[in-house]
Amino acid sequence: MAAAESPTSVRKVVVHLRATGDAPILKQAKFKIAGTEKFSKVIDFLRRQLHRDTLFVYVNSAFSPNPDELVNDLYNNFGFDGKLVVNYACSMAWG
Amino acid sequence: MEIGTQAQKLVWEGAIPLQIHLHQSEVTTLPPPPPALVLGPRIGYLPLLVPLIKPHFNSTLPPGTDTIWFEYNGLPLKWNTPTGVLFDLLCAEPERPWNLTVHFRGYPGDILCPCDGEDSVKWNFINSLKEAAYIINGNCKNIMNMSQSDQLELWHCVVKGNMEGYLRISSKCKLGTVGEERTAKSGSGEADISGSSRTGRIPVRLYVRNIGEDVDDLEDVTTIDSWDKVSYINHPVEIHREEGKYFTLRDAVKSLLPDFFMDDEPSIDEQISSIELEGVCRGDEVDPGCAGVENVSSPMTEGIEGSSEKQKPDSHSRKAKIRLIRIQGIEPRWDVPFSWIVNNLMNPEHYLHICIFVEVSTTNQQAEAR
Repeated sequence: MAAAESPTSVRKVVVHLRATGDAPILKQAKFKIAGTEKFSKVIDFLRRQLHRDTLFVYVNSAFSPNPDELVNDLYNNFGFDGKLVVNYACSMAWG
Repeated sequence: MEIGTQAQKLVWEGAIPLQIHLHQSEVTTLPPPPPALVLGPRIGYLPLLVPLIKPHFNSTLPPGTDTIWFEYNGLPLKWNTPTGVLFDLLCAEPERPWNLTVHFRGYPGDILCPCDGEDSVKWNFINSLKEAAYIINGNCKNIMNMSQSDQLELWHCVVKGNMEGYLRISSKCKLGTVGEERTAKSGSGEADISGSSRTGRIPVRLYVRNIGEDVDDLEDVTTIDSWDKVSYINHPVEIHREEGKYFTLRDAVKSLLPDFFMDDEPSIDEQISSIELEGVCRGDEVDPGCAGVENVSSPMTEGIEGSSEKQKPDSHSRKAKIRLIRIQGIEPRWDVPFSWIVNNLMNPEHYLHICIFVEVSTTNQQAEAR
């Protein structure tokens, strides 16, 4: 019965990472991540890539979702053109 | 003019009596301090209670810096979830006062997001409000363009439980109310539908907790020791308006958790007739519904002779049913118009928080018809 899980559970979401302000630009800006992962995984990934502990991470240049949110939910609610746009900044960009 | 409905007022005034104990590892005095008794507003957040609690325990704390967090039966409580939602979700059988433990040291950073007191809570609130606005309007310009003073004032109204002040400022956000009730009542539909500014997309945070099967008494439900045991879904409900019909709470939850409504699908009259009219091959699915209109429970299905095995050959061999739905501490009837629920019971960040207790067995249940 586990096999009967819907295909959405393994769906990958394309995350488009965009630097904001003076944040360094990543060589690779688009990543795929399983929709069942939490948003915290994206934040951790950025922290590791940029070697920074303090990082402000937004969706659609607008808001910071809670790290507990599922990537799938964020994609369904806020994604467009087949991807989820995630902005990152070293200082607070949108209050 | 009066502002806000009676139900909204009750939600804003709603509070959980809390009895807060200091964790024994942080008690340095003898005798240990008595627990602190405070009222935790339903729409509030636990860190906002710190100014009330801290003085009570200040003299007994070990040296160090405060990293305050709360715990219930060993489960660290998410500070970004409204207090009323935590209570509805974690206390299957409501416990009054609610006994919580406070820690001033040893923050479980692996489980909870960092919290720097009220600023973090405000940050979380405003971001949730923006998310909600995005879901409702497709953008959150109205919130982004809000003046800093309005934003701060809005937040202070939430902290102080000042509903009228909150409604006055939040009306500028143009997030509107859902205007379905009137349309359904008046029956003369269309003008009213276009009159309401809402798109009909409702931001919902849904918390689903499996309490296992055959639990007679909610007091016997085992406590949650890990957040992994709660399925959390952030998914909007799209209000579908059909002429002369309410979009009910049942319709809303069904759109979020369709799996739990498979058994009861035919119990909706229209569906039965439409199935009969179409005369489709799903005939044997009609039976359980006819036998028990309104009955959601699967025992009903089992009672139908021999139908159980044929009925859902490929869907799922598990039994799944919704035991309880709770919104703002209320167990609303399933046929309440969803628009009423949204307009009256949503939280100030414009999200409707729904707690659902389900009974799911993962073992293969054979129908014990005889």
